[in-house]
Amino acid sequence: MSAREHPFAALLAEYVSECLPLAEDVAERAVALERAWDEGTEADDIARPLKGTLHTIKGNSAMMGLPALQTLAHRLEDLWGVLLSDADSRDAGVALLVRGTGLLADLVRATASTPPAEDATASFLEEVDAFLSAERGAREPAREERRSPDRRTTERRAARAAGELGSDGAISTIRVDSRRLDALLETFGEAMIAQAGMRDAMRHLTHRRSAADELAQLERAMLGLDRTLKRLEGALMETRMLPISTVFSRFTRLVRDLAHGEGKRVRLEVAGGETRVDKTVIDRLSEPLVHLVTNAVIHGIERPEQREAKGKPAEAVITLRAVQRSDRVILTVTDDGRGLDPEGILRKARALGQAPAGDNPSLAEIYALAFLPGLSTADQVSQLSGRGVGLDVVASSIRALSGNVTVGSEPGRGTTFSLRLPLTVAVLRSLLVEVSHERYALPLADVAETLRVRPETLHQVARQGMMTWRGEVIPVLDGGRVLGGDTAESRTYCVVLRSAARHRGLLVDALLGHHEVVVKALDPSLGRPPAVAAATILGDGRVACILDTGRLADGWVEPAAALAT
Amino acid sequence: MTPGTYLVVDDSKLHHQMYQLIFGREELAGSTLLHAYNGREGYELFVAHPELRLVFLDLNMPVMNGLEFLHRRRAESMHPQIPVVLVTTESTAEDEARGLEAGAWGYLCKPFAPEQLLALVGRASRLSQRVAQP
Repeated sequence: MSAREHPFAALLAEYVSECLPLAEDVAERAVALERAWDEGTEADDIARPLKGTLHTIKGNSAMMGLPALQTLAHRLEDLWGVLLSDADSRDAGVALLVRGTGLLADLVRATASTPPAEDATASFLEEVDAFLSAERGAREPAREERRSPDRRTTERRAARAAGELGSDGAISTIRVDSRRLDALLETFGEAMIAQAGMRDAMRHLTHRRSAADELAQLERAMLGLDRTLKRLEGALMETRMLPISTVFSRFTRLVRDLAHGEGKRVRLEVAGGETRVDKTVIDRLSEPLVHLVTNAVIHGIERPEQREAKGKPAEAVITLRAVQRSDRVILTVTDDGRGLDPEGILRKARALGQAPAGDNPSLAEIYALAFLPGLSTADQVSQLSGRGVGLDVVASSIRALSGNVTVGSEPGRGTTFSLRLPLTVAVLRSLLVEVSHERYALPLADVAETLRVRPETLHQVARQGMMTWRGEVIPVLDGGRVLGGDTAESRTYCVVLRSAARHRGLLVDALLGHHEVVVKALDPSLGRPPAVAAATILGDGRVACILDTGRLADGWVEPAAALAT
Repeated sequence: MTPGTYLVVDDSKLHHQMYQLIFGREELAGSTLLHAYNGREGYELFVAHPELRLVFLDLNMPVMNGLEFLHRRRAESMHPQIPVVLVTTESTAEDEARGLEAGAWGYLCKPFAPEQLLALVGRASRLSQRVAQP
């Protein structure tokens, strides 16, 4: 029977949302168990919920008419029973358990779109059966005992699922199509635009100094509306937030599988999984993280014998960590491997003609080069820098989320990639500026300072504009040249942009104040100017580009290139 | 079927929704479904609702499992007239015997079809009418 004709087909999404965390939990426990048994450490706490959780998944899958999942869960229960009762079978059996629970999680995840085919599990089931019958043959007398495990001792899964429900038994969460939330957000954005228009009109009226009472009344109403919209914004954003553990949970198995394939020993540690981030960010985060973690296992981490020769533990550690800092989330991927090779990177960058200006680039500047296109694509790179393919791809996908990525490293000790991402990508606190009669929005989080400039504070060094800012010499870009406006004017203001490693000035004509703007993605088919991240509609209905400050601050938009577009 | 009050005790949210789906059918219109997510919550509702027509009790649950529920009910002689159906996945013959011994009125084995559940509800409904109008 296909799931579509099934009496409970309407509950498929509910099935996935209940069973996926359970299946992922089981898969993680299987990996942890393999390690604990391997090291001979205490595993009871890891193992205890396994049986009950598998039983629940089996029951739920059976009710939903998903026989492939039901059978797989059932066979894993059997396998688990054997592993529990016979310590000698563990070495061979636990690898099967890891694979099977991983398969189980994958199938549950895929169920939302396609009912699993029997043959997806067939070859795995054959292997388990072969293992089980070999075990049975080896200990025939114990067979009956294994086949009727004492069900009363079953302890069922963590209280996590129960936590989602009110104690009155009412269901406290409902499922909403995320497209509806997007539509709601769109409408909210329009309300914000209308409000900004009203505020502008009121500002003009205030200058006339007539009808003061009515104006004061209007102002109070505006303030009220302002507060209401703020609250609405908060509530709306909250509906789009998901814990970042939904991304992290996939990595336990990835790391294990990669490490096995490479003959390395790697442990994954995860922290801050409860940090909540916008769904759009979550959706687009998985790929760059997979990239970084894969690179760490394959290129960053040494073989066990190499590590021991260096006096490091044979087992390497990769840490995924999330921390919230005001309206940003900082994600770090840390390994304790061999670290980056700054000289190798610099050599390669010079060969590509991409070396930074100045004779003595700082380590941070050199590491930033690792993200340049072309620098990390060739396989030589894995030898000279310890990094593999396409860090520029990681950087550009993070930038597309208005985030940035930096890397720090200590030779021989390890490498840390830090991803700074906005908690939400729908509404942006921004600084509006004017350049050559066009308005642009700059993400406020990337603005270090704004200042009025005098022509004599600007210098030309090697055909690049420079200025001294807080005792530091920083490069300065002319807004007109970068954004394709006219270049002759001298501009009044400088916005100092920051990325994690450096600062850079952007010269503009006017500062128009702080605004919350609703981010509208650009139509990808139209192409994207190098310095522009997205667009927004202002209170007066005009469109403004949101600038890609990460790119500007890192100096990747060369004025010449900007002129050519 | 005359409308009645029913209690579902199960730690799976999914199962509560399945019951809701079945109880949304025409033949059960007007009936009330009470929800509890572990044995202890379930027992509290059970005590507070002597008018219950039927209880669906999951066997494996945190805090208090189905068998513990039944043992406590027997020890306290609480509402012996209310039928309680134990719901399990692939139980063995010994499991079933233990459940019936502890006072279960019936057994429902996952996966069950809506019709099986409706049949039990029909039986319980006729039983309650016989009790009400001897």
